[in-house]
Amino acid sequence: MKIELKELSQHVGDTGDFIKLNVEKCNGCGHCATVCVMNLWLLRGGKAQLKEEYKQKCLECAACFSVCDIGAIDFSYPAAGTGVVYLKG
Amino acid sequence: MTEYDVLIVGAGPGGSVAAKVAAESGLKTVFFERGRKSGEKNSSGCGLGPRMWREFPELMKTLTTEVAPNLRKAACVINHYLNKDLEEIALEMYYPTESVTYEPAKQFITMNCYRSEFDPWVAGQAVAAGAEQRTSVLIKDLVKDDKGKVIGVQTSKGEKIYGKVIIGADGVISTVAMRSGLNPRWRPEQITLVPQYDFAAPPEKIDKMYGPDGLLADAADGIWWGVNFPSAYQVIFGDGFHIGLGSWMGQWTANPLSYLNTLVSCKPFQRMIKAIDAKPREVQAHLLPWTVKPIKTYTDNVMLIGDAGGFPCPLEAEGVFPAMETGKLAAETAIKCLADGNTSKEALKLYEEKWKKSSVGVEFEAGESLQTLWKNLFFSTQSEENNMEWFIPLWHEIRGGHYDWSEPHIVRFRQIVRKVQEYLPQAMKFVTKYAVPVLSDIMQEDLSMFPQMIKFLETMRPKKKTK
Repeated sequence: MKIELKELSQHVGDTGDFIKLNVEKCNGCGHCATVCVMNLWLLRGGKAQLKEEYKQKCLECAACFSVCDIGAIDFSYPAAGTGVVYLKG
Repeated sequence: MTEYDVLIVGAGPGGSVAAKVAAESGLKTVFFERGRKSGEKNSSGCGLGPRMWREFPELMKTLTTEVAPNLRKAACVINHYLNKDLEEIALEMYYPTESVTYEPAKQFITMNCYRSEFDPWVAGQAVAAGAEQRTSVLIKDLVKDDKGKVIGVQTSKGEKIYGKVIIGADGVISTVAMRSGLNPRWRPEQITLVPQYDFAAPPEKIDKMYGPDGLLADAADGIWWGVNFPSAYQVIFGDGFHIGLGSWMGQWTANPLSYLNTLVSCKPFQRMIKAIDAKPREVQAHLLPWTVKPIKTYTDNVMLIGDAGGFPCPLEAEGVFPAMETGKLAAETAIKCLADGNTSKEALKLYEEKWKKSSVGVEFEAGESLQTLWKNLFFSTQSEENNMEWFIPLWHEIRGGHYDWSEPHIVRFRQIVRKVQEYLPQAMKFVTKYAVPVLSDIMQEDLSMFPQMIKFLETMRPKKKTK
């Protein structure tokens, strides 16, 4: 069974930037890419890269922030009242 | 300058109960929610246990399908055992046992309620008690005095709001915990990532299978035990169900959702969703503290409750009841300390004393042994020592081996014993390392002799079959 994720989450409003990567610090370990349920991280040239579309897709779980041992990922929640909305959480 | 007596960051069940208790005692209370309403950012913890009805009887008796339309009773947990080929080899159902002591625990294991229905309802109770709820407000920082003591919070728009007591009810990634210095960062072994799907299904189809008069009467809680994925839970509601699983941050070796997809795609699961005509409706993910003991939960003017304090239960990481209970205890502590005019950390130590004595604190008496056992069995599926590889066939053999007419019964029993003994070296190593400490905590006895008794069992062999 293939589940198409793009139909399965709702997002509202303009979140602003709420995840920031410190490229200097990033050692390209790829942990963020492994744990991101929505596949929003890529590895490019030995560094992590956050996909542009993350603001419309991120589930705000903060797994990338938590798994980054060297503290290269800064996570702060989306602007108040914006971001993912769970109707059946 | 407005100053509140009690300022609560977070309006989930914990923050809302804290707000309700504080407001009922006449304290000027505010609680903040970053979403547009409570519950729209929360996705798990939907099985409400009977301890809630024991600890909060007045509150819980008003939780009905009128306020939570998809409330469903789960009087039974159904266990699905999948082998390494993802075939279902056993199915077990358990209703509450004779040793359960009180009502309504004899009637149900959980009442299942979507957080999108539960959280706004609890928040509404706090508002009705006189607490002020501010939604769509993100608390980004704490305000401190010149001695570094927390005296308020700052919103993402720069507004400063002051409070005599600040309660951190802001979940796993807690601004209050981080900025107060109580918990700058979780260690990987303290937190889990939990991906989950919600499936929609017609209520009448669910009832036919899992309703009170259904084939599997009231079996609205499910566990899927497997060799290829961390153990998964199923929580069934009025018009759908959750299926999810979790593991600790350091343990993922592939996208967490891929393990859930393995389960969802397997034949036994597909049979189940076909039977109730279920379809995927929502994807969700969240972090969940799952620790052997809570972190330090208080400092000057500050207390942490619920997930922010690491309170989910050490065995199964259920977090809503601990959040509500610690919310109540933190509010009671605030009431006492504000009356005394002293909210220093020395005074707020009362909060820790209270939760340690409470039902939540008792959970952690054996936190380490329970969690270590659980973690190394049901969540070992991604590690080199995947203990589910022997546990599932061993359990199958012990529980199901005698349902068989292939040989005279006594011959079958010898076959079963021989098979069980093949697994004993791994099983006994596991029992000695992980189960004996749990047994020792349960019995409150030193059981260091236990492994030798096991050794004796291990050396016993049925005689070779003679012709």
